[in-house]
Parts: sequence; C-alpha cells; structure tokens
Amino acid sequence: MNKLTMLGWVSIALIALGSVLGLAVLPADALQGEVQRLLYVHVPVAWVMMLAFFVVFLMSILYLVQRELKWDLLAVSAAELGVLAAVLTLILGTLWGRPTWGIWWAWDPRVTTTALLVPIYTGYLVVRSMTEDPDRRARWAAVIGLIAFVQVPIVYLSVFWWRSLHQPPSSPQSMWSAYGLVMLLGFAAYTLAFAYLWLRRYRLAATELELELSGPEEG
Amino acid sequence: MSLAVAAEGVTRRFGRRWALRGVDLAVPRGAVVALLGANGTGKTTLLRLISTLLKPTAGRLEVLGHTLPAGGDEIRTGTAFMTAGGHAYEELTGVENLRFAARMSGTAATDDDLRDALAAADLGGAADLPVRGWSTGMRKRLELARLRLRPLQLVLLDEPFVSLDEDGVGLVHDAVRGWRDAGAAVIIASHRVEDATRHADDIVRLAGGRVADVTA
Amino acid sequence: MSDLPRRAAAILWKDILSETRTRQGFTAMLSFAALVLFMFSFAIGVDNDLLGRLAGGLLWVAIVFTGTLSLGRTFQNEELAGGTRLLRLYPGDVRAIYLGKLAGNLVVLAALEVVLFPAAAILYQVDFTAQAGPLLLVAVLGTFGFSVIGTFFSALTVHLRARELLLPLLLFPALVPVVLGSVGATEAFLAGDPLGRAGGWLRLLASYDVILFVVCLWVFPVVLEE
Repeated sequence: MNKLTMLGWVSIALIALGSVLGLAVLPADALQGEVQRLLYVHVPVAWVMMLAFFVVFLMSILYLVQRELKWDLLAVSAAELGVLAAVLTLILGTLWGRPTWGIWWAWDPRVTTTALLVPIYTGYLVVRSMTEDPDRRARWAAVIGLIAFVQVPIVYLSVFWWRSLHQPPSSPQSMWSAYGLVMLLGFAAYTLAFAYLWLRRYRLAATELELELSGPEEG
Repeated sequence: MSLAVAAEGVTRRFGRRWALRGVDLAVPRGAVVALLGANGTGKTTLLRLISTLLKPTAGRLEVLGHTLPAGGDEIRTGTAFMTAGGHAYEELTGVENLRFAARMSGTAATDDDLRDALAAADLGGAADLPVRGWSTGMRKRLELARLRLRPLQLVLLDEPFVSLDEDGVGLVHDAVRGWRDAGAAVIIASHRVEDATRHADDIVRLAGGRVADVTA
Repeated sequence: MSDLPRRAAAILWKDILSETRTRQGFTAMLSFAALVLFMFSFAIGVDNDLLGRLAGGLLWVAIVFTGTLSLGRTFQNEELAGGTRLLRLYPGDVRAIYLGKLAGNLVVLAALEVVLFPAAAILYQVDFTAQAGPLLLVAVLGTFGFSVIGTFFSALTVHLRARELLLPLLLFPALVPVVLGSVGATEAFLAGDPLGRAGGWLRLLASYDVILFVVCLWVFPVVLEE
C-alpha cells in the first residue's frame, strides 16, 4: 500500500471514529440538544474550506512566480474541494441554524461570506474550463485565485458590519473538554481527508493534462 | 553585419498544437526576408514571437540585440508589426487613428506630419473621415501610414499585399525599399510569392512549424 | 515612468472620442438605468416612505447593474479594432492600458450618475442636496471601487465565450464591500447620520478601493500576457 492510499485509509478511520464518538458516545448538548452534534462535522468542514482556498491562493502565487503548470493543477484541485466544502458547510450550517436561531437563513456574516465564496470559486472553475490553452488557463485562474483571496477578508468584514448574529467561533475551550477533543479529532480527520483528496485530484489532473497535451494534433 | 533577429530552436506550443518546432533564423540589419509557407505553418506565430507579443515555449530569441524576455521595451520602440487584420478604430478618422498611434509610441508628430503620412499613402482625401466607411484596401494603406510615423529598425509585415490594388502594392514596395535603405530589417510573411520576394535577400520557407529551406 | 499617464490619457481620449461618436450606447445605457429605477418602484409599490428609505440601496443596485452592462464594452472596442493585444505592441508599461480604461469607465459612470441621482431624487422623493458634499464623496469612492474591479475583470473575461455571464459572476461577489459600503454610507447620510456609522463605511470603502487598486494594477500585466 503506498503512502497516499494509507493517508486515505487513516482519514476514513479518523472520520469514522469521530462520527461514532460525536453521534453515539458523547451525550447531547445541554442547551442545543441533538442538533449540536452537527457541529462536529460543520466546523471541521468549514475549516477545510478555508484551508482549501488558502491553498488555491498559495498555489496561484507560486504559479505566477514560477510559471510551472503543476502549481495550477494543485490550485484547481484545491479549488474544487473548497467549493465542495463550502456547499457542505452551508448545508450543515443551515440545518443547524433552523433549530438554533429559528430561521433557515439569518444573514450571518460567516454564512453569507461562505455563500459568496461559492460563486467566486465557481467563477474560477468556469473561467478555467472555458480556456483551452493550458498556459493561458493557468494564468487567468491564478489571477482570480489571487484576487479572490484578497477580497474575501474584506467581504467578510463588510458583511460583519452590515449584520452580526452568529455565535462566536466555537473553540474547544468554550466547550466541555470531551466535546473539545472530538472537535479536535474532527479537525485532524477532515484535514487529512482534504490532503488525501487534494493529492489524488492533483494526480488525476496531471494525467488529464498529459493526455490533453499528447493527444492527436489539431489543425 | 549585426543581426536584427537571431532565433535558435524557437518553439511555441498552444496546448497540444505545436505552432513552431525549433526555428532557426538569422535576419541581418538592412536585409529583407520573405517568409513563405502554407496556412498554419507558423508564419504569423513567428512574427508575433519576434514582436514580443508571444513568449517562446523553448529556444533562444534575440531581437535588436536583446535576448527575450529582456529588453521588451527597447525592442518595441524600434519594431513595428503590421498585422494581417490591421489595427484601426472604426469611429476615429484617419488622422485620429494616427495621432493615437503616435501618442502611444511616444512619437512627437504634428498634425501636418500625420496628414503628410496619410497623403503619402494616398489617403489624403479620407484623412478626416471615420474609418468605419473605409474599404479594406484603404485600411491597409492606413497601416502603412502608421508604420511610417517613426524611425524603425525592424519591420514585420503579415500579409501586407492582401486587398491592395496595384498602386497600393507599389506603396508597400516603396516602403520596404525605404526601410531597407535606412538600415532596417524587414520580414514579409505572405502568400504572394512574387511580391514578397521582390526585394528579398533571403527567402525562408516554413513547413509544419519548421524552416523547410532558405534560399538567398 | 512619466509616459504612463501620457499613454493612459491617449487611450482615455481615444475612447471618449469613439464613445461620443456613437452615443447610442450611452443613450441605451441611460434608458436601461431609468427602467431599473422604475422596476424597483413597480416591485415595491407607491409607498413614498418605503421608497425613500430604500432609495440609497435601490440607487446603487441600479448603478451596479447598468455599470456592469457598460463594463462589458470596455475592451470590446479593442477587440473590434484588431485585438487588445495590439496595444501591447507599443513600448512602455502595459499598466497604461488599465489606467486608461479605468479612467474611461469612471467618466462613463460619472455621466450616468449625474443623471441617475436626480432621477432617483425625483422618483423616490429623497433630498440629496442637504448632504450633497458627503454624498458626493460616497459616489466618488463607490464609483472608483466599482471601476477598479470592473475594468480588471472585463479585461480578464473579454476573450471568454460566455463573457456576458462570467463578468457578473466574478464581479458581483467582489463588489459586496463596495455595495455595502456605498449603500451604508448613503443611507446613513440621508438619515442625517444619527448613529455615526457613515464614517466607518467610508473608511471601509476607501480601504477596499486602495487595496484592490494596488492589487489589480500590480497583476494587470499578467492578464494581457499571451
């Protein structure tokens, strides 16, 4: 078994362990009840989303400096996972928000910013998919990946000023220590899962590019 | 004699398409080179590389003494590229189009200079008419007028004879002679073999992104 | 470096000249903006109090929608004239192209707003004159932010097949701070700024403008490369 496959199995095992602990072993939250269990997934997935977009940003900068297509492939692999994580975060957050806040959509700054991240990085992916020349594609994508990351903190700040309702970020300290440990386990598990999927997707992208470049020549 | 263009193994790919596969080319200053070849053999790509619009995927390209990607501004100052499609704004008149070009290239040209350039290209009567109503031949002449606004060391002409009448073709030949006599190198990419080779010191034939043969 | 403003001015002047010769584009844009203002009234109803309170937001949404249509044309005249790439044949920093096009968009939007602000004042029965100075500052900062981002993304999307769709997709999320800042400040000033929130919005708007301007200007040459 190679290292990457092992990483995959480790992350699956950790996610399973975290799910069992969070769903069955720990008691329900005294204040929020059963719905609080969603946070064991929601918070780590939201973290993965931020991590993924940060990776897009880093890889975009590396591409612009070195102009090697591998950075572009690493960036797009992370962007796809980031969009997936953003959509998951939104779904879980909305499910959690309905019983907790009483409404599905409360215009909370973090939720709203996350919702805005989806079109931003969808735009990134669409621009990429519509450009045929690999160098051009990588260049434009890197530019969007860079700008997007610059604008997101200010988008968040502006939405925060506009409206604030969210409970402060759930940090392990603010919870009973067992909750904190399961949450930390979740962070570790989903980060490893991200790393696994990211590298897998990168290998696939590298193969795709190789095929694209070695295919029969056009006109 | 120093070289205006020296290419060694210049390669350019667009995705899976290899437009140029290792082109070697030497164009001395004061020489006229005809670049021949069927459609899609890489003539335009080569001109775009020399004009600094494109970067080579591999290979070494030296233009006017600067090895790309260094010296872009110096190269662009001494080089003019007449594209096959031309570069004219429909709503602007002939004079206004030339004035814009002069300002962009940092050439000090008075209104009289601009009108003289247009008159020299037989466009004196259309100087104050918007390009919108011009024929393709007139637009070609406008390109020629723009190229003659400033002193050049390297002139790249992509299909300069297309849609020109006999007088227009004569104007191109006059211009090419003028540049050559002033010590500039001229590269003419064209399908019109007879016109392209009239003043040519070298004839370079491209095929499949490579130099097929060079005749002096 | 001194030739950067000169060449940016050459592009601006050339575009203004073209634009004044084909006024149809601008006239159509104005009519569209007026229609947007009407549509808001139709959607909300003839409730003068409500329209007055919403005026700031409605006005800026109309500016953003109409402005986006006009942005799409920023680099299209270059494509018609043979391609934006040909501007790169001239010596000098290609950032002149960005600055010239940015200035052009500022002029077009300013002309639009000169009509749109009074129109909104009449239709929604709000008085902009009492706070004219502060509102002018909001308009300047908001319009600048919109143009900085819009000019950049229109250069990025001009070669794409679905540019009419992709420009707003990239542009609108990036405009959130501009819209929130402009609307927040406009509404605060219109209400006499009782909570003292206008200053914060203006600072947010100004910071975003500066940061995005620096980043866009810095990255722009990469967009035009081939």
